[in-house]
Amino acid sequence: MRAIKSSRWISTLHPWQISLLSVVSGLFVWQMVSDHVIANPLFLASPFQVLKALLRLMETGELWRHVAISAVEFFAGYAIAAVLGICIGLLIATNDFAKNWLQPWISGFYATPTVALGPLFILWLGIGVWSKIVVVVLLVVFAVIINTEAGIRSTSERYLEMMRSFGATPRQLFFKVSLPSATPFILAGLKLGIGRGLIGVVVAELFGSRLGLGRLIGASADSFNMPELFAAVSILAASGIAMNSAFAHLEKRLVPWTKD
Amino acid sequence: MSKLVSDGLTKSFGDLKVLENVHLTIEDGEFVALVGPSGCGKTTFLRTVAGLESADEGAIYLNEHQITGPGRDRGFVFQQDSLLPWRTVMENTVVGLELAGKLNGAEAERVRALLDLVGLGGFENYYPRQLSGGMRQRVNLARALAIDPKVLLMDEPFSALDAQTREIMQAELQRVWEEGRKTVLFVTHQIDEAVFLADRVLVFARRPGRLLEDIRIDLPRPRNMATKRRPEFVALVDRIWKLIEKDVRESVLIEKI
Repeated sequence: MRAIKSSRWISTLHPWQISLLSVVSGLFVWQMVSDHVIANPLFLASPFQVLKALLRLMETGELWRHVAISAVEFFAGYAIAAVLGICIGLLIATNDFAKNWLQPWISGFYATPTVALGPLFILWLGIGVWSKIVVVVLLVVFAVIINTEAGIRSTSERYLEMMRSFGATPRQLFFKVSLPSATPFILAGLKLGIGRGLIGVVVAELFGSRLGLGRLIGASADSFNMPELFAAVSILAASGIAMNSAFAHLEKRLVPWTKD
Repeated sequence: MSKLVSDGLTKSFGDLKVLENVHLTIEDGEFVALVGPSGCGKTTFLRTVAGLESADEGAIYLNEHQITGPGRDRGFVFQQDSLLPWRTVMENTVVGLELAGKLNGAEAERVRALLDLVGLGGFENYYPRQLSGGMRQRVNLARALAIDPKVLLMDEPFSALDAQTREIMQAELQRVWEEGRKTVLFVTHQIDEAVFLADRVLVFARRPGRLLEDIRIDLPRPRNMATKRRPEFVALVDRIWKLIEKDVRESVLIEKI
């Protein structure tokens, strides 16, 4: 009886209320574990300790210096990768020679953990932002290329034939059928790139940097400052979530036909 | 005037002869239905008229001009509606005019009136996924009519609809056709649909695909549900069925194997 009652109570909640409840209970469990189970700040920081560290980092202005550098690296790399990825994707989807020429490189690089090349780029480009931008580009661009190409190639033959029957030129077929029908795929590739780009920034900074959230994480780990480490990670998590939900809004505006 | 002539049309796909030496003439404003078993080449014939397939031998002429590719003097209504999901009803309907660079205010008004004619007034800004199968086929029809073609080519447009919707769409198509009296080539599997709609039913046979018989349907218009119960109607359906029965049985057997 009790089980039925509680399931009824759950079913009256909105989806977002359930999600909020999940996050709150997760934080609660985390707090309990760090208070009573692993009550050692060298191994685990509690949510309150993390919050305190976060506020301190904000107050001193240290956080913003790290965030600003990481943001520059992320957005520069992401923008380059997006433009490059869409262009190359469109090229190999429409030109068989380009496809055959570039395909082995794209498949190879996509499957390779290119973050491992981070130290090499630091050697070549120095410890500044450019070595990180290159890593971000490498991590993001192939996801965009592959999705863009898949989107163009998956254009329904029925739509193309319908447009041909109305006398469409190849150029009209591309701009009025292939491109719009590929847009959801391209957006999916760009969305996939957000997470990959964030990983790129952090790992590249861990290999060597003066500023940035990855640098903050590395320094905190070296000094066993778990609250600051978690503070940096939570900033990354929050920015990932924010960018993904911004993307969801963008999708609603750009490809309204894919959703109700 | 806009006479459609097939002069010895022959077409093969590999070793398979899908159409052999088809000779026929279709007068302006005639509603012609093409029936036959699967693989008789009726759809290939329609697609060749549309310019989506090319003839191996012979040719098709519209107003004495040989057809060599798609053109805006022919409007195609597809079996699957092929509506572009990212375009609204209105944007889908004007697509032919848009491709021709002929879309302007006056034309848009004409298309709006056309949507009213096919019963879609008020749905201009809906997306295809928001529409039922019957409504999507109305857009499909309006899109072909929007370019004001001389000939309307319809490839089993109602085959994906349920039986009731199909009956309604047949009556609607007849009503729309009465408004403009365009030449129509209508491919269907349903013999009763062909007899109900057409002035002439062309019966095709298979292996090789060829024109078997050209049957004139003199039932008075406008036709309605009662028409389908008239003895002449039933006799015509029966006669056409007898013509293709053997072929259909064979094609069913082959498809089963």
